[in-house]
Amino acid sequence: MNQQTTSMSPENASGRLLNFHIFRYDPQQKGDKPRTEVYQLRETPGMTIFIALNQIRQQQDPSLQFDFVCRAGICGSCAMVINGLPTLACRTLTSKFKQGDITLMPLPGFELIGDLSVDTGKFMRELAERLKLWLHPHHHEIDVHSIEAPMAPEQAAALYELERCVECGVCVSACATKQMRETFVGAVGMMKIARFELDSRDGRTAEDFYHVIGNQDGVFGCMTLLGCQDNCPKDLPHMQQIAYLRRKMAATIL
Amino acid sequence: MTARTLIPRIFSYQLTGHPWSARADKLQSATGLMLASFLVFHLHFESSILLGKEVFFHLVQILEGGLFTDDGRGVSAFTQIFSVFMLLIVVLHAAMALRRFPSQLGQWRALRGHLVCVKHKDTQAWFWQLATGFILFFLVPAHLFTMILHPEIGPNLSAARVVQDNFWLLYALLLPAVVIHGLIGLYRVAVKWGLVSNRSVLRKVIKLLIIYLILLGCASLLAYVVIGLDLPSQVSPYISKI
Ligand code: SF4
Ligand code: FES
Repeated sequence: MNQQTTSMSPENASGRLLNFHIFRYDPQQKGDKPRTEVYQLRETPGMTIFIALNQIRQQQDPSLQFDFVCRAGICGSCAMVINGLPTLACRTLTSKFKQGDITLMPLPGFELIGDLSVDTGKFMRELAERLKLWLHPHHHEIDVHSIEAPMAPEQAAALYELERCVECGVCVSACATKQMRETFVGAVGMMKIARFELDSRDGRTAEDFYHVIGNQDGVFGCMTLLGCQDNCPKDLPHMQQIAYLRRKMAATIL
Repeated sequence: MTARTLIPRIFSYQLTGHPWSARADKLQSATGLMLASFLVFHLHFESSILLGKEVFFHLVQILEGGLFTDDGRGVSAFTQIFSVFMLLIVVLHAAMALRRFPSQLGQWRALRGHLVCVKHKDTQAWFWQLATGFILFFLVPAHLFTMILHPEIGPNLSAARVVQDNFWLLYALLLPAVVIHGLIGLYRVAVKWGLVSNRSVLRKVIKLLIIYLILLGCASLLAYVVIGLDLPSQVSPYISKI
């Protein structure tokens, strides 16, 4: 950033005027109706949607609700639909939108807390309980004297790749199948199953996994629309992993 | 998801794996693959009319089993048997695909809301597949029943069907619907089972194929219309000059 741009402050800046069309609705408030409100803001260099929302809340409307924690694409709490694309607000630059009109909607498919804030945590927890998304070791007795089995570096790397999921919920919102079928596990669930399926420390067999995702609400309900793959802010390989699971699950049944 | 999650697995097939889920998915892909491959051949065979009546006539004789008859003539009963077989495949494919069909108003509403809210190419492509699938549900049986009841195929007889019996309307509707449905379907089968990893190339190939097949089909249909307009009202089968 050069001298001139850093000295710019929002008030006297010559940045362009951005129009934020923001979904507003507070389910806690009696009689409140869903509506869109427009806020205007001058763009500053390097501005993200996250920065813009904070400025709006600070300077224009303290009642505006939205989530963020890490502002660096790590916690996954700031996901919302930005001009038709579900993604992380803290990783989206306002400069991306040439028109200067930015529409913000809460992630569909989750419980709305208010305005742009949704409860992804509750969803992820229920999903983890339903699919048993934790490591099921081969042996249940723990022997502190036995030496841990080594893991091949390639496997560790592959596991790490899938572990990068930040549970933002974007893949759930981007999936038309999930929107139509509430009981469908969605991409995040299948990605996590794929992660444990890959893990040599996990004792579950293909049949065990079939019991959890071998149905219309699991891998065979997926219509391969790939909204998950195309929108995941962490670029996880949904297409490849879900296809792998599907082949694996299909092979367990004749 | 909430309340149903609490139901123990053994009591609900919806929450446990169901063997037919895998089978249905495999059957849907397999029958779809068969139908789409057949479509590609079908469109090419019928386009042989573009090379002249003679070529088309002989191709039909071969395809109707002319290689196995004494006089080298095909038997149209073969078309009937084949049409019945295709009808069975279509019924099986439709039955499997119906699982995907949004069945409640709420699902339609969710789908519409989603399509409006989230802009995503593959989802839109699927929507087209859904819409064309619905149309084909009626048009394909109509086409197949015609072939079962009136299996005569030939340069003059087919052209008469198109023009005098007004079947051009059915074919004009069927062609784009079936090409779009089948080729998007091929794309989906390929990515669904992980047969292709480069989606952008595949997408381009499929787009080109859709355009090519529709043009090919339109040209053939036009050729039949041109022939059909020239026919007398009492149509007699084409006589080969060789
Ligand atoms: S898979 Fe990607 S889109 Fe889905 S929750 Fe994880 S990080 Fe978000
Ligand atoms: S604030 Fe943590 S991912 Fe955006």
